[in-house]
Amino acid sequence: MWRAEIDGLRLSFHLAGINNQNFLMRDDQTGTYWQQISGRAISGPLAGRQLTRVPSDELTFALWKSEQPQGTVLDDVAVFRTQYAAKDWDVRMRRAPTVLSYPESGVAARELIVGLRASGASRAFPYDAVLAHRLIEDRVGSELVVLVTGPDGKSVRAFRSHIPGTAAVPEFYRLEQSAATPASSLFMDSATGSQWDFQGCAVSGPSHGICLDRLEALKDYWFDWRNYNPATSFYKEPAQPGPPR
Amino acid sequence: MPTFHPGRRFLVWLLACLLLSLILLVYPIYVIRPFRAQGPRELALALAVLRYRPAGMAACVIAVFSLIAWYWRREKRVLRRLISSTGLVAVSAAALLSRVNVYELMFHPIDRATFSTAAAASLDGDENVIAVRLGSVARAYPIRAMSYHHLLNDTLDGIPIVPTY
Repeated sequence: MWRAEIDGLRLSFHLAGINNQNFLMRDDQTGTYWQQISGRAISGPLAGRQLTRVPSDELTFALWKSEQPQGTVLDDVAVFRTQYAAKDWDVRMRRAPTVLSYPESGVAARELIVGLRASGASRAFPYDAVLAHRLIEDRVGSELVVLVTGPDGKSVRAFRSHIPGTAAVPEFYRLEQSAATPASSLFMDSATGSQWDFQGCAVSGPSHGICLDRLEALKDYWFDWRNYNPATSFYKEPAQPGPPR
Repeated sequence: MPTFHPGRRFLVWLLACLLLSLILLVYPIYVIRPFRAQGPRELALALAVLRYRPAGMAACVIAVFSLIAWYWRREKRVLRRLISSTGLVAVSAAALLSRVNVYELMFHPIDRATFSTAAAASLDGDENVIAVRLGSVARAYPIRAMSYHHLLNDTLDGIPIVPTY
């Protein structure tokens, strides 16, 4: 999601084409063509310019509604409703052909990933692995990060592991729900024992009221992420220890 | 030195204009289409064609119109005049077709977006949305709709934004 303005000029966009299965948009004001995934102008008077990213999440509606009960929701356009995709569109699209693939990576082109960028580096995490583990601690470049699955078991957010206002860069552990934990608690840190919710805010313990810095977590297909992040690394689950001999 | 018959000279220039308008029309569609890999150079060329196509098409239409006017001054036979006019029809048709945004024919834009409150929205709980919050204002864009329209020109908390999918 992007701010629709540049140098104070408000831009309005139209769908204008496709570039290796990522769409292009064209602004009415200057006729510049912009790449959707990168927000970068690739042709026209503003070529080389960059739109400003607007932080956004991909969440289930129920989870979003619980966080933002006063929010508003885009209505369907009735005449096009029959042409809308099913709600599991991204999963169904895993079977669609791609024009790019990266067999040397060992990753299927349509693998759903969660892409992160931090400290000048990029890294992709298999979406299914993030859901399975519910919490993954890792590093993107020099940045320690934590990926957390929401209470709905489908939504994913990522945070810098550093607790703002402190020197602490703790380890995090996922919490099993019990009567002793606040309902919104999802994970706990090793430095202060505070419990954190899916918005990355401490809901109990010494860090109560502090929120972790959120990282933009882009849910994407591997081929698309890899195309626009050619130096990306790919998270592979640690090998399980074999049975004792 | 060979001399061209006026009719032959007219035909050569007419075909040249028709060919140019056809290239201007078809090349971007050929390059920028789904399920085909786009190389950086051909994409840059196709986008440049799109950018300058309106001027190119206008030049073709004016050129063909002028050619036909020139030809009609020299050719009095009605049938030949009528046949020559099809050139103008063809190049005008190409110019008109080039104004059509085929991507918006496939995925219609949202002209006037409307919104419901979270409480009134009729989405399934497990349906995915793109969520944004600016200032104290939060909004959700259902993936079902966004995967069809792909983008929306919107304003949130006074800030122009373009959610995309």
